[in-house]
Amino acid sequence: MSFLFENSYYIAAVGLILIGLYIMAAKKNLIKVIIGLSFFETGINVLLIAAGYIRGGSAPIFSHPDMQAGKMVDPTPQALVLTAIVIGVAVLALALSLAVRLYEHHGTLNLRKIRELKW
Amino acid sequence: MQIILLTSFGGAFATYLLAKISSRLRDVCAVIVSGLLVVFVALLYNKTPAATLIPSFVGAPLTVRLNMLSWFFAIAIVVVGFLSIVFSFSYIKGKERADFYYLMMLLVNAGMIGIVLSADLLTFYIFWEIMSWGAFLLISYNRGPALRAGMKYIVMSVIGSVVMLAGILSLYAVYETFVFSELAGRIASASPAYSLACASMLCIAFAIKNAVVPLHTWLPDAHSEAPAPFSAVLSGILIKMGTYGLILVLYLFVGVKLFISPTYVWRGFRFVLLVLASITILVPSFIAVMQNDAKKVLAWSSIAQAGYIILGITFGTTLGFAAGMFHFLNHATFKALLFFGIGAVEYRTKTRDLNSLGGLLKRMPITFIAVLVGTCGLIGIPLTNGFVSKWLLYKTLILEGSPFLAFIALIGTWGTILYGYKLLHHVFLGQLPEKYKNVRKAPASMQFVLIILSLAVVVLGILPGIPLKLINTIAVSMGMDSMNINIFGIASETGALNTVNILSVLAAAGIVVWIILKASKKSTRISQEDNYAAGAAIPAERYSYTVDFYNPLYRMIRRYLRDIFDEFYYWIAGRVQAFSDMVRRLYVGDVGCYAMYILLFLSALILSQVWWRVW
Amino acid sequence: MVNPVLLLAVPLGLAFLTPLLAFISDRIARYVPVAGMLFNCVVSVSLIPSVLNRPIIVQTGGFAPPFGINLVAGPLGITLAAVIALVGLAVSVYGLAYVKEGATVKYHVLYLLLLTGATGVVLTGDIFNLFVFYEILCISSYALVAYSGDKNGVEAAVKYLIQGSIGSGLALIGIAILYGVFGTLNMADIARNIGSTGILNTTLFIALAFMVAGFGVEAAVFPLNAWLPDAHSSAPAPISAILSGIAIKVGIYVVVRIVFTVFGAPSMFMLLVVIGVVTLLIGEMSAFSQNNIKRMLAYSSVGQVGLIVFALGMATTGGISGGLFQIISHALAKSLLFLATGYMIYRSGSMEISSLQGMGKRMPLTCCAFTIGAFSLVGLPPFAGFPGKFMIVRAAIAQQQHLFTFLIALVLFGTIIEACYFFRIVQAAYFTGPREEPDAGKQRREEAPLFALAPMLGLLVFIIALGVYPEPVIRLLDSCAAELLNRFDYIKGVLG
Repeated sequence: MSFLFENSYYIAAVGLILIGLYIMAAKKNLIKVIIGLSFFETGINVLLIAAGYIRGGSAPIFSHPDMQAGKMVDPTPQALVLTAIVIGVAVLALALSLAVRLYEHHGTLNLRKIRELKW
Repeated sequence: MQIILLTSFGGAFATYLLAKISSRLRDVCAVIVSGLLVVFVALLYNKTPAATLIPSFVGAPLTVRLNMLSWFFAIAIVVVGFLSIVFSFSYIKGKERADFYYLMMLLVNAGMIGIVLSADLLTFYIFWEIMSWGAFLLISYNRGPALRAGMKYIVMSVIGSVVMLAGILSLYAVYETFVFSELAGRIASASPAYSLACASMLCIAFAIKNAVVPLHTWLPDAHSEAPAPFSAVLSGILIKMGTYGLILVLYLFVGVKLFISPTYVWRGFRFVLLVLASITILVPSFIAVMQNDAKKVLAWSSIAQAGYIILGITFGTTLGFAAGMFHFLNHATFKALLFFGIGAVEYRTKTRDLNSLGGLLKRMPITFIAVLVGTCGLIGIPLTNGFVSKWLLYKTLILEGSPFLAFIALIGTWGTILYGYKLLHHVFLGQLPEKYKNVRKAPASMQFVLIILSLAVVVLGILPGIPLKLINTIAVSMGMDSMNINIFGIASETGALNTVNILSVLAAAGIVVWIILKASKKSTRISQEDNYAAGAAIPAERYSYTVDFYNPLYRMIRRYLRDIFDEFYYWIAGRVQAFSDMVRRLYVGDVGCYAMYILLFLSALILSQVWWRVW
Repeated sequence: MVNPVLLLAVPLGLAFLTPLLAFISDRIARYVPVAGMLFNCVVSVSLIPSVLNRPIIVQTGGFAPPFGINLVAGPLGITLAAVIALVGLAVSVYGLAYVKEGATVKYHVLYLLLLTGATGVVLTGDIFNLFVFYEILCISSYALVAYSGDKNGVEAAVKYLIQGSIGSGLALIGIAILYGVFGTLNMADIARNIGSTGILNTTLFIALAFMVAGFGVEAAVFPLNAWLPDAHSSAPAPISAILSGIAIKVGIYVVVRIVFTVFGAPSMFMLLVVIGVVTLLIGEMSAFSQNNIKRMLAYSSVGQVGLIVFALGMATTGGISGGLFQIISHALAKSLLFLATGYMIYRSGSMEISSLQGMGKRMPLTCCAFTIGAFSLVGLPPFAGFPGKFMIVRAAIAQQQHLFTFLIALVLFGTIIEACYFFRIVQAAYFTGPREEPDAGKQRREEAPLFALAPMLGLLVFIIALGVYPEPVIRLLDSCAAELLNRFDYIKGVLG
């Protein structure tokens, strides 16, 4: 039980990633796939944050003299996640706008039916 | 040296550029370029220059050199090249894309000159490839069925060059050099199996170009579909680049001593070559008999004649080498002559179908004489050059104790007689069909070419000593024994060849025959339009008694003369195509499936490591 | 000496300047990519002599490596940056003529961003920074594939986007694991931490596997390349050219950089060799019976990627410089082919190979460019493809192992198939269709416009020059190969 508790962030991250990948591989509807993509990216972001997180740590700012560097949360992953979120948003926006276009052309969002390009 | 290459390559492009200004300028330029090449090569007789083209190309220099062997090939290349350009004048006039045609003719020529001049395998390969793709564009030039022929040619050619590349680099992997003179004889120092593998790879590549039997299938189509002047180059010279390569491999890299040594490996290798060469002589000769397309006949004949050449050089004796080399030269003359002759006929009549041609004797007399001389050379009638080389070959075969092979070569010659006569007869003799009444003589430029080559056939037949001296020098330089040669033939203790004696005997016999014919006077002359057929009224324009010539013979042998290799290769090609169509289905078009591919790849990678520690 | 950071700053700045300039005049905006790429071309070529001595390390933001983001302009990075700039220049000139309708300003912005991303990936020394540039490259290419907004383009873009996002997500997971283990993002620092054990523990291997599988999507190795035939065949011609010529090469660069420099995992070399051969065979076979010319070219790119990965995986100087040479020659030849087909398709109105008939007459120069590009890809001398293929085969045979003998036989088989379909197209362009009378063809000439022809002829000149005299480039690539093979020199160069 304590294992679950100590690694809860990692478990959540891996869970989100797996859910996302499952949706992307198995679902037919493009919107669902895009939602899966969002899950996937969120999971990765959680994973990144978890890599630098210390339970009960403080913000990495020396706000008063007796703060210890060892107790601080690593700031780099947070910076990384910020970047990753921006990238993720760009991808999602693009994906949704392409979905609109795709619907105009095909009249459906069912990816099993949109198979003009093959072989 | 560099001047020769510069002239040949630069001339090709200069011709193309000048063609944009005027077509007359283009013709003049092409002739000047090819003529200059003849002069340059002739001037280099008995000199041995060497030069470096590029000091370092992928880590090795590109070098060229000239020696007797390459001079011998080079002179044949430039002369046939020159004649084919002259012949092209009228042949190509008024056809589309003539500028392109000239460019490619000169480029292929330049590539072949480069091949024989190159001093290392890298240079050799580069020029070889330039020649190969140039030839591809020329073979496809005629469109229609030529496309298929071109594809077949280039596929086999690419297979050949790929195998050659592998062979060259296998040699390089061991000896770290491409240069001929450094490789010479050193192949022996590797293990027999490895050296045999290298030699076989190179030999396969050259055998494809030389159309040795299981690898010959590109040739009949390519030769018959190419433009006539290029067919002449193709048959006379281009496929003989394979012979040149074989000589390089067998006599230089492997070395004569090792090659004819009785070791297990090389004896087996020689045996395989001999068997292939004799099949190459035997079967195509009779397939040629069955063809009804004039150029197809000649194409199959080219395969068979190449077999004679291979048979000669496989023995590794001076006599055999001389037979092969001399037959190469002869084949370049008479086969080019025949292709030019048939090309002239095609140019005037627009057809090559033997069953509809006939009786052109009076309409195109010069062409007739040229084809007659060429056919005589092909069959090997005394006083033509073909006789001398075949005589040398038979002598080799008998001296080396292979009467069976001699017999096969003889049967091949029977086939040659049959198709040679068929060709001559169907085109020039017999009844003249109505539609060819107004056929004119071949244009002057064509006649010029035909006369030159006919003279060459006869002169080389009467004075075989000229090239044989040269061949003897080459043979000696490669470490073989010398022969006793005079200008009219060979003297040796086991039988001498002297064309003067033959000439006098033939002259006497000719006079006797003429006298008998004169005395008996039983024949009557009839006109060519007279198609009397035992009283049956046959419409003149529908009558062609040449169809189903040699029918009894056909019925006997047809069953055995299928080109099974061609069918086999088509079967393989079909399988490959079907298989690649299946492979294509991997891309199903469903993006979920593609996502699965990615995840599967990832999990396979990780799981294989976790379970088996592969990586 | 010029600061290599300008190679990124200038195109990036110009990209965002373009919409502003478009307010003044559309005409000026059109020339912005050309100017940017010309600048990059000049700068990267002028940097080559100095980086051959020692790599230039640029600290951005004033932190010394391992902290802060740094650029490592080594021989490999600068060489690839030069290739990117060169192909980018040719394609941007082509774009002047080709891109006329639609959102042209957005096209130019995205185009510049794509090239910035590509240049950034090859120059950066920080693994997360690499990921960011990689994403810039990917996102702008997703958008550009759909640029024309037609049915196939959008479908291809959506599929490309989904697969690409999975790929970059996986790569990011790999980066996260690495960061979790070592607490650093500097590639040299990670490499130093991994050391030279040669055998990776499971955690590190999983990170490596995630990154190979993730970045491998852009590198288009089988089975991660299903997006490629769709995207390359549906994008507008200049985008196909840039995707095929540059984008997949950048993917290969990333995979190779990670396997060679960051992890130094010799055991993965064999994996690269094997998937290289498999990719080659599958690509060439799929291309074999295509009727759609652009799709065929796309599959041919798959095949070429396989060849390159195979060569790089041999991990010998000869193999790597052969593979890098193949990267350059393929970048030149394949972009040339896509550019040439762009106008051929534009004129004939169809992508079917059969519709190319008579093109040799209608657009002789374009067709000539196409033919030479095709010959170069097949590896015929005297064009650029020949030295590359030659070096690769030489390196493989020099290994003197039975496995490599077998693999090289498969590679050569792929080459034969490639020759078949390229020669078929050359025939179709020149020798099919109705025979025409001479002089009648004169009035039917519809050559591509000058701005489209000029870059094609430029690429042509490079292809022939490289094919005739490859030695200087090979010498340059030998030092690139040394950079990949000696990872300790790289680490020492960056960290001091």
